[in-house]
Amino acid sequence: MRRRSFLQKLIVATSTLAAAVLPYAFARLLSPAAAHDFSHHLRPPGSLADDEAFVAACIGCDLCGEICPPKCILFDKREGGNQVNTPYINPENRACTLCGKCMDVCPTEAITHVERDEIKMGLARIDRSACYPRVDRGVCGACVAICPLGDRAIVFEFANMYCPLVKEKGCAGCGMCVEICPHPSLPIRIVEPSMGTVVKHAI
Amino acid sequence: MSSSSTPFFLWRHLNKLRWLVLSLVFLMLVALPFVHVYQTYVASFSYDLLDPDEKELFGIMEALTSPLTDNPADDLDAIKGNTWSGNFFGYKISDPLAVAGQAAASLSVYWPFVLTALIPILFSLLLGRFYCGWICPANFLYELNTIVALSLQRFGIRVGHRRFDRRLKYLVLVLGLVLSAISGSVLISVIYPPAIVGRELYFGIALGGVGAGLAFFVLTLLFDLLVSRRGFCRYICPGGALYSLLGRFRLFRIRRVVENCNDCAKCNAVCEFGLDPLHDDFGQECNNCTACIAVCPTDALTFVTRLRDEANQGPGHLGRKYKHLQQDSG
Repeated sequence: MRRRSFLQKLIVATSTLAAAVLPYAFARLLSPAAAHDFSHHLRPPGSLADDEAFVAACIGCDLCGEICPPKCILFDKREGGNQVNTPYINPENRACTLCGKCMDVCPTEAITHVERDEIKMGLARIDRSACYPRVDRGVCGACVAICPLGDRAIVFEFANMYCPLVKEKGCAGCGMCVEICPHPSLPIRIVEPSMGTVVKHAI
Repeated sequence: MSSSSTPFFLWRHLNKLRWLVLSLVFLMLVALPFVHVYQTYVASFSYDLLDPDEKELFGIMEALTSPLTDNPADDLDAIKGNTWSGNFFGYKISDPLAVAGQAAASLSVYWPFVLTALIPILFSLLLGRFYCGWICPANFLYELNTIVALSLQRFGIRVGHRRFDRRLKYLVLVLGLVLSAISGSVLISVIYPPAIVGRELYFGIALGGVGAGLAFFVLTLLFDLLVSRRGFCRYICPGGALYSLLGRFRLFRIRRVVENCNDCAKCNAVCEFGLDPLHDDFGQECNNCTACIAVCPTDALTFVTRLRDEANQGPGHLGRKYKHLQQDSG
């Protein structure tokens, strides 16, 4: 008899626990985990460098997106698993202007105020086998002209007019050059800062 | 002795004020995404490039905001966000649940963020679970959902009236914090309806597509409709649990004036949270929504400043049962 009452209590406890987990399980099922390519999924400027720490700190309040003047900050709406509702920037769609409003509005430490010179969202990397001036397909210079940081981040190569050269230290990785690049295959992309400014081709 | 006293006459009109506040908060959540879209148009100087309907939105927003500001791109940033976390004229206000969830997820405390929850916590200590009844944008939709359920009943369609254990939501709150810590993300925000509503309104209006949260919210509406009236708020909502705990020893609470009560039980019928005002059982779950005060035909419910509820005061003095008891003893 005693064993039976213990079993009953166990069943009640387990089913209560299951009922309490159920809403979280439902919410998680509705937003399955998905892998993201870094180049299409930049964090807003001033974000914590460690992405796991960023996801842990972000409460998904949308304030950064709601204040962004170019509306470049998007959100993982239906996928992402743990990352659901966290902000990201896809520079191929619309790039960050480094205005810094999101840094000031974020209530948590996910996005904190960083000086404009010290922002590091990524690094622009150029594929020299596709860039128009590099392969003698005319003059361009769009990326150099649009860069909000000017010659701190990207310059023309000396004595080689219109060939862009990214400066590893100065580039903030805002993605303006990616948004403006006229080449359909986008020879300039934002990559992780450790990957360098030039695409290396295996010969 | 306050046998013939009637409550302060304004208390019974507070329910109207509550509906006004609820509608205003919801309206704000709908309007702010439009404001943001207008600001992006202004900031990019792109009026000439807009579609005709976008130009229409531009015109409407310009007409609405031009008396207030000459610089909409910056000045309209004064009010941003939603009830999960917002920015009012430079003051950041966040939901206490956001602070708790974020502290659990990152396993550290970020004081500037904790301070943003100070005002809601202070108000909850004084007024109890008032957020649920007075501000929560999801509550606005849930109460409308109750009205839908009542009208369905009128047409003979059965709606759910199941009752569960109210303590389940405290377990959901604790589990949410534990799961947040394990997963390393603020998991509570994906099941907390006010956060979902604020977010999905922004996604739907400004970003051109709703997220998974809307599906979850619709599930909760169906749960309320088909299984249990206001079931999500009563039994599951982790935010409600946190606010209930904060408001356990609230200063302002509703009290039954037993001398005026005639045991009609309209208060119990109208209570959205399934409490028992008729037997003085308000408890920590009462959100001071004042619907029972508004419905009471004999002015038997009033506000008092007291840290604890009255114990059961027995049958109301105008009720039949009380008169029987008097006759039996006398």
